[in-house]
Amino acid sequence: MLYVHNSNCISPQQTFPDTALDLLNESRDNQLLVKEPVYSNIPPGILRRMARAVRMCVGAALPLLKGIPEPDGIVIGTANGGIEDCIKFLNQIIEYKEGLLSPGSFVQSTSNAPAAQISLISKNKNYNNTVTHRGLAFENALMDAVMLLKEKKDGCFLIGSVDEISDYNFNIDLLAGSFRKEIVSNRQLFDHPAIGTIGGEGALMMTVSNAQEGAVARLEDLQTIHTPDETLLLETLKHFLLRNGLTQNAPDLLITGENGDIRLQKFYQAVESLFPEHISIARFKHLSGEYCTASSFGFWMATEILRKGKIPDIALKKGKQTEFRKILLYNNYRGMQHSFVLLGKPVG
Amino acid sequence: MTMETTELKHQVKEQIIKFLNLTTLKTEDIKDDEPLFGEGLGLDSIDSIELIVMLSREYGINIQDPKEGRKVLVDVNTMVDYIEKNRTK
Amino acid sequence: MSRIMITGMGIISAIGTSVEENRQSLINERSGISQLEYYPTAYAGRLPCGEIKISSATLNEKLFAQPGPTITRTGLLVLHAADEAVRDSGLSNAQLASTETALIGASTVGGMCLTDEIFHDAHAHSLGTPYTSSYDYASATLVAQKRYGILGEVSTINTACSSSANAISFGARLISHGFARRALVGGADSLAKFTINGFHALNILSDKRCAPFDRDRSGLNLGEGAAFLVLEKEEDAKGKRIYATLSGFGNSNDAFHPSSISPEGEGPYLSMKWALEKAGINPGDINYINAHGTGTENNDETEGRAMQRLFGSPPPFASTKSFTGHTLGASGAIEAVYSILSLMHQELYPSLQFKNPIPETKFKPVKHYRKQSVQHVMSNSFGFGGNCTTLIFSK
Repeated sequence: MLYVHNSNCISPQQTFPDTALDLLNESRDNQLLVKEPVYSNIPPGILRRMARAVRMCVGAALPLLKGIPEPDGIVIGTANGGIEDCIKFLNQIIEYKEGLLSPGSFVQSTSNAPAAQISLISKNKNYNNTVTHRGLAFENALMDAVMLLKEKKDGCFLIGSVDEISDYNFNIDLLAGSFRKEIVSNRQLFDHPAIGTIGGEGALMMTVSNAQEGAVARLEDLQTIHTPDETLLLETLKHFLLRNGLTQNAPDLLITGENGDIRLQKFYQAVESLFPEHISIARFKHLSGEYCTASSFGFWMATEILRKGKIPDIALKKGKQTEFRKILLYNNYRGMQHSFVLLGKPVG
Repeated sequence: MTMETTELKHQVKEQIIKFLNLTTLKTEDIKDDEPLFGEGLGLDSIDSIELIVMLSREYGINIQDPKEGRKVLVDVNTMVDYIEKNRTK
Repeated sequence: MSRIMITGMGIISAIGTSVEENRQSLINERSGISQLEYYPTAYAGRLPCGEIKISSATLNEKLFAQPGPTITRTGLLVLHAADEAVRDSGLSNAQLASTETALIGASTVGGMCLTDEIFHDAHAHSLGTPYTSSYDYASATLVAQKRYGILGEVSTINTACSSSANAISFGARLISHGFARRALVGGADSLAKFTINGFHALNILSDKRCAPFDRDRSGLNLGEGAAFLVLEKEEDAKGKRIYATLSGFGNSNDAFHPSSISPEGEGPYLSMKWALEKAGINPGDINYINAHGTGTENNDETEGRAMQRLFGSPPPFASTKSFTGHTLGASGAIEAVYSILSLMHQELYPSLQFKNPIPETKFKPVKHYRKQSVQHVMSNSFGFGGNCTTLIFSK
C-alpha cells in the first residue's frame, strides 16, 4: 500500500529526538504526559500562539521537511486538536458572559490547526486534510495517504497524528468512565484489569511514498470496523488474514492496544486466541497511555521493531525475540472502533 | 515624562508580553517607539484584537471602531498616551 | 475509471427541512437569516443567524418518537439530512449496513453546541452530564453509523469551513479506488456559543443580513444545517434516478494566515484550477459558480481576485450563504445540494442583498432567480487554516 520512510514520534517516553524505550517514564495521577522537547525549528513568533497539540505535531513534522521540503500533501489525524485552547475559549465565554473575548485560543483550537500550521510554516500549497474520527482518526489519515499514493504514484506525503491531554478533556473522559478511579502506575497497568485505563498523549509524523528504497517499513493492509460485537470482529480479522495470505503463516508478532480496561479484554482475548501459541505478542498502552490516536504509537513501535529487529523488553507480553518480517497491529477504542494494520519489512 | 508615565509604559509592555504570549521577550526588548505591527515586533491582525481586549480588561477602555484601534496601536508611546487620556480603571 | 454519480440527497437548513423546501426558498428568494428564537446566547436579537426554527426536542421526537436518546443538535441534524438522502436513493437497509458502504461526515462544532454542559464536565462540576461522550467532532457521524449499522469505512473530517466538501471528495475517492461501493457523504453544524463568540471576537459577524460580494459588506451571518449525498458507481446507478456526476475536486492550502486568505487568493485559485484539471474541462465550460461568498471583507475580495485570475471574467456566480448563513462544516455539502439542483432544473439561484460591486473586480453576482442552460457547476469552500476545496458537478 505504501512505504514508511522517516518518522518522529513525540510521546510520554524517550522517543524524540533519540529513542530509549528501556527507560520507562512513569505515569502520574493516571496520566502519561509528553515531555516536550525544545522546539528550536519553530519560529518564535508562531510558537508563542501554538496550542500544545499544534506544537507537538509541528515539532515532529518540521525536521522531516529537511529531507523533503515540499511534500505533495499533508494529512493529520486528530480526534480533538487543541482541545485545551478550545475549552479555554469556552471558559472565557462563561467568565465574561459572552462579552469582549480574546480570539487567539479560538483560532488555535480548530482541529485543522496542526496541518494548517505545517503548511503555513513551510509555504506548502498542496493537498491538506485533517481527519477527526475519534479512535480511528490516525487509521483514516493513513487511508487518505494510501489513496493519495494511488493518485500520485511518484508522490511523497507527510502524514501523522496528534492528540493532547489537558485537565479538561481528562475530566470529561474520566466522567465518561474511560479512566481508572484509583491511581494505578503504568508499570502495573496490566496486573489487575479493572474498569478504565490511564490517559496519554503524543504526536507521530512520518513521510510515506511508493519508494521501497530507504524505507523502514511497508504498510501491507489496513482495515477498520465499527462494532460492539466480537464475533463480527473475528470474522473481519479472518477475512483480513485470508486476503493477506496469512491463514497458514501467521504474522511474526501481534501488537495490541490492550490497556488494562477489563471491559475491552474480551476483544483482545478473542483476537489473540486466533493465533498459534508460539506467536509473540507485544503491547504499548503502558508506554503511550490511552488516547484517540494512541494506535499511532503502536504503529511507530512496529516500524521501530522492523527497523531494529528487536522488541523493547518492556513491550513484550509473551514470546521471544525472533526475526520479525510481518507485524499485525490491532487496536480498539472504547469497544466500538477497531483497526487492523499489517506492516512488513520493506524488502521481500 | 512623569514617573507615572514611565511606570505605565513598563506595565503596558508587561501586559503586551502576557496577552500575546511573547515569552521570548523581556520588557527592555520593546522600545517605546518601536512599531508594533509590520517591521518591529511583527504583530498581526489577531494580535491587534488581543490588544483591544487587553485595553478593555485592564483599563476599561472600549474601542469599537477598528480605525480608532489602528491609531492607538502604533507603538507603546501611542498606547500609553491613549490609556492616560481614556482609562476608566 | 468509473464515474461517481449522485443518487440521493438530503438537506435541512434555515430555508427548509427537505430538498424541495430548500429549492422553493431559493426560487422565491426567501432568506432564512433572522434573529435567533431558539438558541440561547447573549447575541440573540443582536446578531442575525440562519437558525432552523425547530427545537432540538421536536427534531428528536420526529426522528425517534419519544422518548428520544440524548443526541446533540448536530447529531440530530445529521440524522435528519441523512435519512432523507437514504430514502431518496432507494438503498435498502441491507445495502446500507454492508461493509461496502462508506460514511464520511464532517463537522467543525460537533458536540460543542453544548457549551454549558462541556463547561460543567470539563471542570468536573458534577457527576457528569449524559453528553460526556458526545462533544467531539466524530460524535455526529457516529450516531449515523449506529442508526444505519454501516460497516464500511466510516470517517469524519474537519478542515474548518471546507470540511464537508472534503468529505464528499473523500467518499468519491474511496469508491474510485475500490475501498467502497457506495458512500453516504456530507456534514453538519449547529449554532454554538463557541462559533458565535469566536467569529464575533474576530470582528467578522454582521449585525445585518450578509451581503456577499457587495462593496459595503459588513461580515457574515452564522447558520446551521446539514446535508448528505449518496454517491454510487456509474454501473450501480444504472436504472436509478441520477442527479449529477461529481466530475472534479481540488484541495489546496493557501499557506498565508491562520484566519484570512492571501490577497491574490492563491489557495482558492489553485483549488479551482485543480478541480477543473480533475474534471478535464476548461474555465469557459463552467456555467455557474456557487461561491464561498461569506460576506466578509477578506473572503469576497480574495475569492473575486482568484476568479479574476482563473476566468478573466467569471461565469454567473452567487453566494447562497445570503439565504442560509454560513453553516461552516455543513456549507460544502449544503451548497453541493444547491449546485446539483441548479444542474437538474437548469436554473440559477441568486445572491441576496447585493447592491454595488467591489471596486477592484467590479464583479456582480446573479441578483435574481433565472432559468439558464447549465452543464457544469463549480462550488467553492474555503476555511480557516487556509483549507480551500472546490467541487465540480456535471450533468
